[in-house]
Amino acid sequence: MSTNGSTEQESKIRTDDPIIEVRDASVTYDDGTSYVLDHASIDVERSEVLGVVGESGSGKSMFASAMMDAIPDPGVLSGKIVYHPDEGEPVDVLALDDEELREFRWEEVSMVFQGAMSSFNPTMKIEEHFRETLKAHDAPVEEGMSFARELLEDLYLDPKRVFDVYPHELSGGMQQRALIALSLVLEPEVLIMDEPTAALDLLMQRSILMLLHELQQKYNLTMVFITHDLPLVADLADRMAVIYAFQFAEVGPRDEVVGNSGHPYTRALLNATPNIEAPLEEMRPIPGDQPAPINVPSGCSYHPRCPLSTEECEEVDPSFYDVEGDHVAACHHWEEAQEEIDLHLAGDDDGAVASDGGVDDE
Amino acid sequence: MSDTRAGDGNRREPSGDDALVSLDDVDVHFEEETGLFDFDEPDVVHAVDGVSLDVEEKDVVALVGESGCGKTTLGKTTIGLQRPTAGTVSYRGHDIWEAKDGRGDIPFEEIRSSLQIIHQDPGSSLNPNQRIVDILSEPIRHTNPDAGLSERRSRIYSLLERVGINPAGEYADRYPHQLSGGEKQRVALCRALLMNPDVILADEAISALDVSLRVEMMDLMLDLQEDFDTSYVFISHDLSNARYFAEHGDGKIGVMYLGELVEIGHPQELINDPKHPYTQVLRWATPKLERHRTEPEEPPMRKIDIPDPVNPPSGCRFHTRCPEARDICAEETPERYGVGERGQEAACFRVLDDHDYWDSDPIED
Repeated sequence: MSTNGSTEQESKIRTDDPIIEVRDASVTYDDGTSYVLDHASIDVERSEVLGVVGESGSGKSMFASAMMDAIPDPGVLSGKIVYHPDEGEPVDVLALDDEELREFRWEEVSMVFQGAMSSFNPTMKIEEHFRETLKAHDAPVEEGMSFARELLEDLYLDPKRVFDVYPHELSGGMQQRALIALSLVLEPEVLIMDEPTAALDLLMQRSILMLLHELQQKYNLTMVFITHDLPLVADLADRMAVIYAFQFAEVGPRDEVVGNSGHPYTRALLNATPNIEAPLEEMRPIPGDQPAPINVPSGCSYHPRCPLSTEECEEVDPSFYDVEGDHVAACHHWEEAQEEIDLHLAGDDDGAVASDGGVDDE
Repeated sequence: MSDTRAGDGNRREPSGDDALVSLDDVDVHFEEETGLFDFDEPDVVHAVDGVSLDVEEKDVVALVGESGCGKTTLGKTTIGLQRPTAGTVSYRGHDIWEAKDGRGDIPFEEIRSSLQIIHQDPGSSLNPNQRIVDILSEPIRHTNPDAGLSERRSRIYSLLERVGINPAGEYADRYPHQLSGGEKQRVALCRALLMNPDVILADEAISALDVSLRVEMMDLMLDLQEDFDTSYVFISHDLSNARYFAEHGDGKIGVMYLGELVEIGHPQELINDPKHPYTQVLRWATPKLERHRTEPEEPPMRKIDIPDPVNPPSGCRFHTRCPEARDICAEETPERYGVGERGQEAACFRVLDDHDYWDSDPIED
C-alpha cells in the first residue's frame, strides 16, 4: 500500500476539490524501525463526510492526529499534510510554527475526542469554556456566544440550562454534544472526530449521528469521522476509508466500499459485524489477529489472514488498484475477492444479490 | 393492531419453582446522599421498579436499554449481588436473601458461587499482580479443594486452549497487562466458568471489544454454554448484539426503560415486530448496514435525553418521549400485556384494541 509518490498512484488518491491532502504520512516512535502510521495517503474532499474505519491499534487515531500535526511525544511525523482553505494559498501544515498551529487547530480544523470529560476543565462552567475559547482566539465574544447558543440548540441542548452547570452535571451524551458545539464555535472548516460517541449507548450514538448530519448540511462542514464501528459511520459517510495495519487498505464512495468492497479485509470486517437485519448464520469472525507495529508481515500485511493469499501477496506490498470510479483497493486480487467472498448485508436475505461485481457461487 | 391478541391485563405470574432464578415484582431503589445538613427527604433513584423475570436452565436472557435504564442493577439483582428493596429473588425456589440472612434452607455461599459475573472492563476485574494461572487456580480451589497443583494446571491449560488462548502454558504464566483486551475477557470468562456456575451475568462484556471481535466472543460464550450447562444474563445497549446472542442461544430479549421491563420476547418477534414504541426507538438506533446508504431518519421519539430516574414521569414512564403518547399515558400505568403466541409481552396500551387509550387525546409538546 506504499504509494512511492508515483503519478499513477497519485491519480488514484486525488479527489476533485481536496480540503486536506495527506501524502505518505508516517509516524514512528523508534526512529523508523517500526511505524504506527505507515506512508498513509488520502485526500479529504471539501464538504464531505469521510468515515475512517479501523480496529484498535490499526493506526486510525494516529491518522487523526497527523492531520493536525498533533502526534503525542515522542512520536515523529513525516510526509506531507496540505490544507486548502476556501480562499488563499495552500497551507503546509507541518511547516507551521506553534502559534500558527494553535490557530489552525481551532479556527480551520477542529477535533473532538472520545470521552468529553477529559476535554473539559472540571472546575469551569460550560459557558466559561465557550467564552475562554473565543477570547483566546481574539474572536468577538458576544457574537460568538450567540452562535454558541445556536449550536447548542442545533444539538438539542437548552443553552440556558447547559451554560450554567459544570461538565460533570451533564449526562455523557449531553457532555459530548456540548463538546461538539464548543469545537465548532470558531467556525472551523473541518471537524475531525476520533471515536466521538464510543463511550455512549447506542441510542445516544445514533442521535448524535443524526445531529451531525444536520450540522454538516446546515454549515457545509467537512467531517472526518474515525471509528472502529463500521455500521455506525456507514450511515453518515459520503466516502469511507478502511485502515489495516497502519495503512489504508481501501478507499471509495460509501456504497462502493460497503456494497462492492474489493479488499478481502473489508469484506471480512463487514461479515464479522453483528447486524440487525443480515442473516445470523452468515456472521463470521475474522480468523487471526492484526499485527503489532514491530512485526508487520512482508508484502501485503493482511496476507497471513487472507483466504486468497498467494506468493505475490507475501512478497509484493500492493499499491492501490482501481476498482470502480473513485474506488480503490490495495489488493492484488480484488476481483477474486469480490467473486469469492460473499457479502451478507441487510436486505440480502435471499442471497441472490450477494456480490454486485461478480458471480454468486452459493 | 388487529393481529395482536390482548392478554388478560394481569401481570404474569412467575413460574417460581421451575425457574433457575426467578424475580418477583422486584424494586431496587437507591437513596441519593443529599448532604450532611440537608434534612429534606433524600432523593430516591428508581433503578428497578416492579420487575418480574425468570431465568431458566441453559437460558439466555438479553437485557437492553440506554444508559441509566437499570439493566445493570437488574442483572446484579438477578445474581444476588444487589439486594432488592421490595419483591423476592429466588434460586431454584430458595429465597436468596432469606439464605443470606441465615434463614434459608441452603447456604448462601452455594447460591453465590452458582451465580457469576463478567464485567465490561476485564482489565480492572483481574488482579494485576497475579499471573493468569493463579487467577484461574482460585475458583478451582473453591469448587474442588482436593485438586492438586498438576490437576489444576491441566484443567486451566485445557480451558485456556478451549477459549483459543494458545499456547496455554505460555499464557498461563503471564500477567493480565500482557494480554490483549479480548484475551483478558476470555480469561475472565474462564474464571467464571471454573466456578461451575448456573448463571453468568455478562455485563456489557463485549462492548469494549472491537466490533470485529464481538461475534467471536459471543460464539465462544455460546459454545461453552453447551459444555458447562450454564445460563447467561447478557446486558447490552446494542440490540444487534442482543439479537445475535439471544437468537443463537434460543433465549429472549428484555427491554428496560427507566427501571421497568417494558417489553420481553423472543428475538425474532421482538425485533421484527416490536410492540412497545420504545423498542421501536432502539430498533431505529441500531445501524442496519445496508448496501446503499439511506438518508438518516428522524428518531421515533420526541426528546433525545432520558428523564431523571430520581423523578420518573407519571403513568407510562416513556410518555414524555413517546411519539404515540396520549393524555391517558401520563395518568395510568400500563402493565405488561401478552401479545402473540410465543410469550411476547409489552407494557403499552396500544396492544389492547379496546383500551381507553384510543379515545384519549394525543399529548402535544
